[in-house]
Amino acid sequence: MSIKEIPNRIRIRSMQDIRHYLKSYPFQGLTDFFVEYESKNRLLPKEEVYKRMQVTLKVMKESIEKGKAKENFTPSGLIQGGCFSFQNAFPQTVSLMGEWFNNVIASTLAVSELNACMGRIVATPTAGACGVMPGAFLTICEKFQIPEEKQIQSLFISGGIGELIQINASLSGSQHGCQAEVGSASAITASAIVALFEVSLDKIENAAAMALANLLGLVCDPVAGLVEFPCVNRNVVGSVNSIACAQMALAGIVSPIPFDEVVFAMKQIGEDLPASLKETSRGGLAITPTGLRIQRKVRDENSEKIQ
Amino acid sequence: MAIFDIIGPVMIGPSSSHTAGANRIGYMAALCYGRPFQSVEIKLYNSFASTGIGHGTDRAIVAGLLGLKMDDERIPNAFQIAKEKQLSYYFRKSFKRDHHPNEVRIVFHRGTKDSFLVRGISIGAGKAKITQVQDDHVEFGGEHAVLIMNYRDAIGMIGFIGGVLGKHHVNVAYMQSSRNALEGSAMAMLKLDEECPIAAIDELKGHPDIHRVISIRKLNNEY
Repeated sequence: MSIKEIPNRIRIRSMQDIRHYLKSYPFQGLTDFFVEYESKNRLLPKEEVYKRMQVTLKVMKESIEKGKAKENFTPSGLIQGGCFSFQNAFPQTVSLMGEWFNNVIASTLAVSELNACMGRIVATPTAGACGVMPGAFLTICEKFQIPEEKQIQSLFISGGIGELIQINASLSGSQHGCQAEVGSASAITASAIVALFEVSLDKIENAAAMALANLLGLVCDPVAGLVEFPCVNRNVVGSVNSIACAQMALAGIVSPIPFDEVVFAMKQIGEDLPASLKETSRGGLAITPTGLRIQRKVRDENSEKIQ
Repeated sequence: MAIFDIIGPVMIGPSSSHTAGANRIGYMAALCYGRPFQSVEIKLYNSFASTGIGHGTDRAIVAGLLGLKMDDERIPNAFQIAKEKQLSYYFRKSFKRDHHPNEVRIVFHRGTKDSFLVRGISIGAGKAKITQVQDDHVEFGGEHAVLIMNYRDAIGMIGFIGGVLGKHHVNVAYMQSSRNALEGSAMAMLKLDEECPIAAIDELKGHPDIHRVISIRKLNNEY
């Protein structure tokens, strides 16, 4: 059989599509496939695509530093320097799981808080879930001193996995709840972590499938409609979950339900969720007595600004 | 649409729809107006009106109007920058079900008489669409360069426009046209692969039946 040329249009809807392309065309591995995919979709040369990911990675790293550097506050009072005091809580506080675990928490909080305070972040995949990837993935990159090139390669793979969620369901809290934001962030982060150590599509798929499955049903019920509580803390759940699932997948644990079907389940659950739990702040934590009190305070302060 | 929508965009928080998307509407609206302006009236609808302030929607829009993009760290200080540039802005709120949840109406003022209306919606993931320019209902999101033309409803106008663009090697990706038979007026909106060259715009404007040509460059590959 003669070697086929890489087609001008690459369309993916499933894991099977990705496997088909890898088998049928001369891509140089999974990263190359997704770089080509992006290059062809955006009509940009591959070098540009690669460079843009370099810039994105740089911003992601900066967002950790900026978020950690000072005490972050929001006018609502929902964020009050949590990350800053967390960093200074040790060694006087008992460290339950050791330094690296705490680094994951600190970096996730840092980026999520920075986002709430109108700082510059990479929306991975959304602004509301932007702490998960830097918190988990970049902390592991630091722990294992992963070269930058390898980090970028893994980000492309995880972006491709996220693309399947975007195509087949949605990444938006207003459509499918927090499972679509922090759940998706956790899934793509798990896939990125696995890809650092083993570029095995099976293991990458298993990690993403387990991570998303673990967070199915997560609702979006932000207090006062702000991307603050419970969003910032839920990012930590996404980070920790992504590491656990990556570790399980690397050790050979298989998700009984394939990734594509987990994504479909997420979409179905998202459609079944009532509107009150999809970013409307009309349910869940947002309408607890304290949640409503904070909402009234925020509204009153804002209405003074706009008549 | 692709991987940089997943790993990205780079933006100022806290919300891709209420901050980044809102900023993009302001940015594109200023490109539509295309001239300096002294004051703007900004009407926020529905979700933008109810939770916009907490998401910095107001500052993000003003920043966009000032030409700051969604990743610009000056967005939080947009009001201060507007003051320095002597731009005055007024906000209004509206809650109406027949409008998009994340909609903005921006009216530009220059001097006392000149006013210019642009309407836009934020559609999530930092993306936005302009839905109205003056009286014309349109739809574009910055992925293409755009030409909006208002002209007298006359035979051969589309042919003339196509001829001018062809002569200047401009490829048309999409075209929409409509007319108001009562007024005898017509409009066309064209999406182009590349920005329309000034020579072509001048040639279009030179036609006696073409009243107005608005040319908007594309935003592709900008953060």
